Amino acid sequence: MAGKSGRTISATPKGGMKEKILSLEGALIIAFIAINILGRVLSPNYNLTNVMRESPRYLAEIFMLFGMGFILVLGDIDISVGAIVCLSATMGCLSSNAGLPMGLAILVTLLTGLCCGMINGFIATRFTELPTMIVTLGTQIIFRGIAEVSLGSGGSASLKDYEGIGILRVKLGPIPLAFFLIIICAVVFIILLSRTTFGRRLYAIGSSKTAAKYAGVEVEKLRFICFSLIGFLAGVCGLFILASTYGANTTTGQGFEMEVIAMCVFGGIATTGGKGNLVGAFISALIIVCLRIALGQINMNTQLILVIIGIMLIVSVLVPSFRQKYLALKK
Amino acid sequence: MQNKSLLKKITGSREASLVIVLIVMLIVISIFSPSFLSPTNLGQIFRNNTLTMLMALGMLCVMLTAGIDISITSTLAFAGMSIGLLQKYDVIHNTFVLFVIGALIGLCCGLLNGIIIAKGKIAPIICTMGFMYVWRGMAYVISNNNWASGQDVSGFSDFGKDGSPGPYIILVIAYVIFFIVMKWTKFGRSIYAVGSNPEAASISGIKVDRVLVSVYTIMGLLAGLAGVLSVSIYASAQPNMQYGKEMDVIAACVIGGVSMSGGRGSVVGTFLGALIISIIAKALPLVGIDAIAQNLIKGVIIVFVVILNVITQRTMDRQNLLRREM
Repeated sequence: MAGKSGRTISATPKGGMKEKILSLEGALIIAFIAINILGRVLSPNYNLTNVMRESPRYLAEIFMLFGMGFILVLGDIDISVGAIVCLSATMGCLSSNAGLPMGLAILVTLLTGLCCGMINGFIATRFTELPTMIVTLGTQIIFRGIAEVSLGSGGSASLKDYEGIGILRVKLGPIPLAFFLIIICAVVFIILLSRTTFGRRLYAIGSSKTAAKYAGVEVEKLRFICFSLIGFLAGVCGLFILASTYGANTTTGQGFEMEVIAMCVFGGIATTGGKGNLVGAFISALIIVCLRIALGQINMNTQLILVIIGIMLIVSVLVPSFRQKYLALKK
Repeated sequence: MQNKSLLKKITGSREASLVIVLIVMLIVISIFSPSFLSPTNLGQIFRNNTLTMLMALGMLCVMLTAGIDISITSTLAFAGMSIGLLQKYDVIHNTFVLFVIGALIGLCCGLLNGIIIAKGKIAPIICTMGFMYVWRGMAYVISNNNWASGQDVSGFSDFGKDGSPGPYIILVIAYVIFFIVMKWTKFGRSIYAVGSNPEAASISGIKVDRVLVSVYTIMGLLAGLAGVLSVSIYASAQPNMQYGKEMDVIAACVIGGVSMSGGRGSVVGTFLGALIISIIAKALPLVGIDAIAQNLIKGVIIVFVVILNVITQRTMDRQNLLRREM
């Protein structure tokens, strides 16, 4: 029997050059190059220095991409990450304003994210009957609610300690710290998902929870770890949002959850679980960042990017579906 | 046979318990604030939540087929913005024609969703997420970041202005139609059938694809209508209107007992769920809780309700098992 991935023992993919280019990752890399050439043609200001300068604005949410990849591979979903970003940025901002040194405020930000993730994980693993969509829908409203209450009637807070947060805005040569960290995260998480027992177990759970359980995988423990992880990464995202906007308000992080899920799906991770990898997701995240910067430079209506992302998302899932239908007809 | 009667008992008691919750809430609130149950106040509650209540009906159908539609508020914004602009540039001012246009725009958006989900076999959340971006973006693009202000829609907003019966009439008609269709027509029952077991439904002669396409089309139609109503009620149209409110609609359904895995839920339950959410929002300031904490309380209630649901289900299953062992 072929599993969800469509692989059988007799039909494992062969690694020829043609297959490599025709694979999703190959197509994504080609798209990435095409976007960059397009940007270069459209705008003379689209060069490496400018891209590096503009990128921190868009990079923060990519941290969550890796956690979301894990969650989607498990067959779960987490739509509360945007609210976690909001709450952790709020807590970081308020605790710094209350007089904590910046190091501790950063710690508070990260711990807030981790706690939120653990709450999600606790509910999701204790009440396994509940779809995680519902759990995180509820906690999303709670987390943002807590942020709203702590921000008070003004609905926003601005960071007083400009100097301290500057530590997150340093550049290593031409590369911003956020970019550097993202590359490290990408390498670590890609290896973690595709080359370790931990990662392979996530695929096993995503393909069939029952089978994984009988094979001795501690399903609920791993799910809990993944939910905590994405909470922590949302905290990291909140930290960099705080560093680039010097404050937090009630709409911080709104819509991030969908953007991150869109990047994952665009990179070939199926929401049904057990399929896809982080390489594709990471490349597609870079594509979207480059597209944003390029369109921003030619002063295109910034909201048009929404239409483009939406269409790309639908087409990217429709094409494999129709390809499968076509192949089935051919047989 | 026994299974079915059990299912009926669960859904039946569900609505009964919602009514009890509602009555307790109303008693507590009216102790704190006797004027809460006045007709004007109740009218306000309905008027402020017309959009959620209307779209909850469509969401009920979609969730009955084990799907979800998160593109609704974007459809709403696109339809609402379109008719706002039609008035701003003095193209059409006839209220009825505007309603038809808005509903048609929504219908087309929904139809597109339905075709892609049913024929392309794509997870509903992904497809509707794509369209969530597309229609919201289109609303910005066609408006060119402008508003349609109260002055632009002056004649049209009479339909939904404070005290006008317009929104209530639409709400009542929609709920009556849905109640009848979902309960007593072949189409309504086939939605339940598709949701409980698509394979069995397909074998018993129901065209599953067609049912799927129609539920998303209905959802789109209602979202389009809600867009027109929104312009009329709030007397303005802006591209970011009702942003993020799709979660309120889903929450109303979930509190009302609609299951996300399909096949379970009712029009009455949905109505009660939406009503409970709107009463909580209105009553919090009256019982001395700051309005800022509104979302927090709402979230806690949603989580509490779904967890309570699981726990009752578990005890019920355990008791059934015990009875069988004896």
